[in-house]
Amino acid sequence: MRFGSCIREIEVAGLLERGHWPQACTPELHSHVKDCRSCTDLILVMQTFRAARVQTAAIPRLEPAGVLWWRAQLRRRNTAIARIGKPILGAQVFALAISVVVALGWLTLEARAGFRSLAWLKEFPQSLHLEVLLPPAMPKLDANVGLLVGLLATLALVSGVVVYMTSEKQ
Amino acid sequence: MRWESTIPNVLAGEAQPLACLPMDSEEFAAFYERSSRSLWAYVARVSGDPALADDLMQESYIRFLCAAHPEDGEVAKRRYLFRIATNLLRDHWRRPQSCSIEEIPEEFFAAPSDGAQSDSQAVLGPAMALLRPRDRQLLWLAYAEGYSHREMAEITGLASASIRLLLFRARHKIARLLRQQNLSERSGP
Repeated sequence: MRFGSCIREIEVAGLLERGHWPQACTPELHSHVKDCRSCTDLILVMQTFRAARVQTAAIPRLEPAGVLWWRAQLRRRNTAIARIGKPILGAQVFALAISVVVALGWLTLEARAGFRSLAWLKEFPQSLHLEVLLPPAMPKLDANVGLLVGLLATLALVSGVVVYMTSEKQ
Repeated sequence: MRWESTIPNVLAGEAQPLACLPMDSEEFAAFYERSSRSLWAYVARVSGDPALADDLMQESYIRFLCAAHPEDGEVAKRRYLFRIATNLLRDHWRRPQSCSIEEIPEEFFAAPSDGAQSDSQAVLGPAMALLRPRDRQLLWLAYAEGYSHREMAEITGLASASIRLLLFRARHKIARLLRQQNLSERSGP
C-alpha cells in the first residue's frame, strides 16, 4: 500500500463528484484504489462528508428571506444615521471646547483686574437680603467664593445652551 | 432643512428598498433559497452547535446584504457568503466561551432521517468533534462543498499552499478516526 498524496486523486474525486464511483470506474483504477492509502482515504472522507451534507442541509427551519431583507435594510439605515451622527458629535465637542476656552479666558482677564467689572454682583445678593432665608447657624460664604460659584454655574449653563443650539442647527 | 431629509429613505417608511443594496428582494429570496441550507450545514457541522448555526447564518446574510459586492455572479456571491460565515465563526471562537463545543452532544443533530443517513451522521459527528475547528472548516469546504484550494484560501484567509498541506493532514486524521469508528461499531453489540 502506498502512502502520501496520489496523482490519481483528481480522477477519483471527479468520479465521486459525478456519482460514477464505483460502477463507472475502470478495473485498473479499482485495483489502484485498493492499494493506495491516499485514494482510499479520499473516497471514505468524501462519501461520508457528502452524505452528511445532504442530511444536515435538511435539518434547519429557515427564517423567511423577507425578514432578513428587512433586517439588512434596518441595519443599513442605522449605519447611515450613525455615519451622519459622527460629524454632529464632533461639532458639539468643538462648540463646547470653544465655549470653555472663551469663558476661561474671560475669567482670567477678570481675575487679573480683580473682578472690578463684576463688583455690582457682590452687592446684588445683599440687596435681595437672601441671608434671611438661611439658618442662623450656617456660616456665611465669602463674597468671592459666591461670585466664583455663580460664574461657574453661568458658564455651565451657557455651554449647555451653545451645545444644544449647535445640535439643533445640525 | 433638517438633516434627515438629506438621506433618501433613511427615516421614511421603507416602502422601497435602499438604492445601494446589492440585489432586490426577489433576487435575494432566490439566492437565499439556493444557498442557505448549505451555509447552515457548514456552520452547524464546523461549530457543532445548531443554535449557533441559526444565529450566524442570519448574521451572515445580513452582513452580505449590507456589504458592497466587488464580485458578481452566483459562485462568487456564495463564496463571499461562506467567507463572512467563516469570519463570524472565528470571532465566535475568539470570544470567551461558557462551554466547549466538544461538550455539545451529537443528539442536537438528531433529525428525521433514514438509516443510511443516520449511519453517516453517527460516524462523522464524533470524529469531527476530535478535530481542530480549522481542520473541520477545511474538510467541510473541500469534501462537502467541493471548493478548490484557491477558493478555500479566499474563504478562510489562509495561503493556498498551506491549505494543501493542512487539508492532507486533516483528511488523514479524519480517515483514521472514521475507520476506528467503523471498526468499533462492527465489533460492538
